[in-house]
Amino acid sequence: MITIGVDVGAKNAKLLVLRDGEIVGKKSRESGFDQETVTNELLAATLAEFGIDRDEVTGICSTGAGRKAVQYAGDKITEVTAAARACFELYPDTKTVIDVGAEEGRAIRSGERGKVEDFAINEKCAAGSGAFTEAMARALEVSVDELGRISLKSDASVPMNAQCAVFAESEVISLLHARTPKQDIAKAIHDAIASRIVSMTRRVGLNKPVVLVGGMARNVGFIHSLNTAMQDEVRIPDAPEMIAAYGAALVAAERAVVAATETGASGPG
Amino acid sequence: MFSQFETWYRDRHDYARRWKERTGGKVFGCFCSYVPEEILVAADILPVRVLGNHEPQDVTEQHLFGMFCPFCRDVLAQGLKGRYEYLDGITIAQSCIHLRQTYRSWEENVPHDFTYYLPHPMHVASPHAVPYLYEELKKFRAAVEQFTGKPLSDDDLDRGIRLVNENRAALHELYAHRKGPVPKLSGLEAMWVTVSSMWVDKEEHTAELRKVLAQLDEREEQFGDGTRLMLVGSENDDTDFIRMVEAVGATVVTDDHCTGTRYFWNETPELDDRIEAIAKRYVERPACPAKDHVARTRFPHILKLARDFDVAGVILIQQKFCDPHEADMVPLRSYLEENGFPTLFLEFDVTVPMGQFRIRTEAFLEMLMEEDLF
Repeated sequence: MITIGVDVGAKNAKLLVLRDGEIVGKKSRESGFDQETVTNELLAATLAEFGIDRDEVTGICSTGAGRKAVQYAGDKITEVTAAARACFELYPDTKTVIDVGAEEGRAIRSGERGKVEDFAINEKCAAGSGAFTEAMARALEVSVDELGRISLKSDASVPMNAQCAVFAESEVISLLHARTPKQDIAKAIHDAIASRIVSMTRRVGLNKPVVLVGGMARNVGFIHSLNTAMQDEVRIPDAPEMIAAYGAALVAAERAVVAATETGASGPG
Repeated sequence: MFSQFETWYRDRHDYARRWKERTGGKVFGCFCSYVPEEILVAADILPVRVLGNHEPQDVTEQHLFGMFCPFCRDVLAQGLKGRYEYLDGITIAQSCIHLRQTYRSWEENVPHDFTYYLPHPMHVASPHAVPYLYEELKKFRAAVEQFTGKPLSDDDLDRGIRLVNENRAALHELYAHRKGPVPKLSGLEAMWVTVSSMWVDKEEHTAELRKVLAQLDEREEQFGDGTRLMLVGSENDDTDFIRMVEAVGATVVTDDHCTGTRYFWNETPELDDRIEAIAKRYVERPACPAKDHVARTRFPHILKLARDFDVAGVILIQQKFCDPHEADMVPLRSYLEENGFPTLFLEFDVTVPMGQFRIRTEAFLEMLMEEDLF
């Protein structure tokens, strides 16, 4: 059975193909302005690249902020449910999922079988999200990858108090003027995001093991700051930005089985 | 069926202006649900709860501190923009400091013939609360009498108490129709009714509500498919929000808001001393968190509502920076969850970030229904 999960996030749309529980293809591109066209093209490109016929696909489930734009999805679930479901599949003993994407940070308390017991999402504030690191990298004139790497070279602890991304940027500029080394500023940025995320996670309970997913799970500087703040090593799956799409594909598969069972039960014999 | 209430909700100012023209009576703006409406109704004054209108504004910055709640800013903006120009008087019963500042700024900047700050006990569980309010209500009554030039007799007060109580009783009956497995009305419709009752003439509102109640049993429209939710928090007249919640698969079946059950839940008792009866009513009503410390009588009251209305979960929604509700929010969440009611916490601003709130609400509903999901 082939199912597909599509995660339309604030910045990128991700599509993942599952065949009998195994990931056989994944692809992403910027969500853009016209999400409907982007997700249509993404589906067509993925099917073509991996040689899958549309008729072979049993179910499609969409998730993410733009999930309603995915016209061809039979099911739609929130990214909270999708991430928890995927993390349970990968790490059945998961207690907490931290999902940090481009514009939102989420903390999920995961129960039995990946059931969401509680969740928290950052409020109207970009300072706990991927977009924040992009803005800060621009201010430091480094790439986002570099921001993560240079931050690992620092063992300084520079406090950053700003609660909003714009004020944080002016705080970074002040640090630059004070000739604070870039690596120390980079670490201060990651420490500040990690502190905000850990604080939000404590609202739902910071129970271990913790799985970190979303695009920010690719930032080595943030991971280090998060581990330090939690005094633990978070688990990070391969392709952490594809996790919600993976969860959606798993849900599509489960629902296809349920639908087939129900159809069978009502049939003759 | 509820279109009249929707119209009253939407065209609140037109209604009050027409009421004035029709009756020649006076209209008072009330800044809090603790204002004793019985005394105003007895004096043939139309009490109108002053609310915001949920649109961004730029006129309150010089009057209110930045971290005062968005509701008090929105309310003040209505006064400064002249939206309540038909008011003859304004009055507030002390509950929270933010709204008191709104009242003071309004009083200074918008002229009215009558203004009255009514001190109100903040520790309502105290045995001194009723005697204290009794003395204050006597002064309030005297001020109203002086304004109208007409002393209030016991018969007048009885009429005021009866009209307000009859409206409360009708609202109770309406809420009873939301208790069963198939609610007879949506949360949005209930909001139109309860919120409009805060400015429509009580007799007129009750008569319209009685007409609807007589037809509700026969209503064919069903509201039984949604996940049953309760809303708890500060002032809430946000129809866009409740409409969104019900559009993504919930049915709101009850609430604890000062624009909902807290406003009408208990009646004024029959006592020889009418002012004492009114004082008892406002001291003993479901408490605003500003007045409920240390006792926190509202917690078991909210729990009872959640159980009686058989809700699956509770959305705790308060005005951002609302200190009294913030003081209760952490222990209230724990209390409800320990008693088996999952909660979702949201904060109102002048406008609602609908996309973000929709995601949170949908995730909450998925959480409540996850057994069905997999």
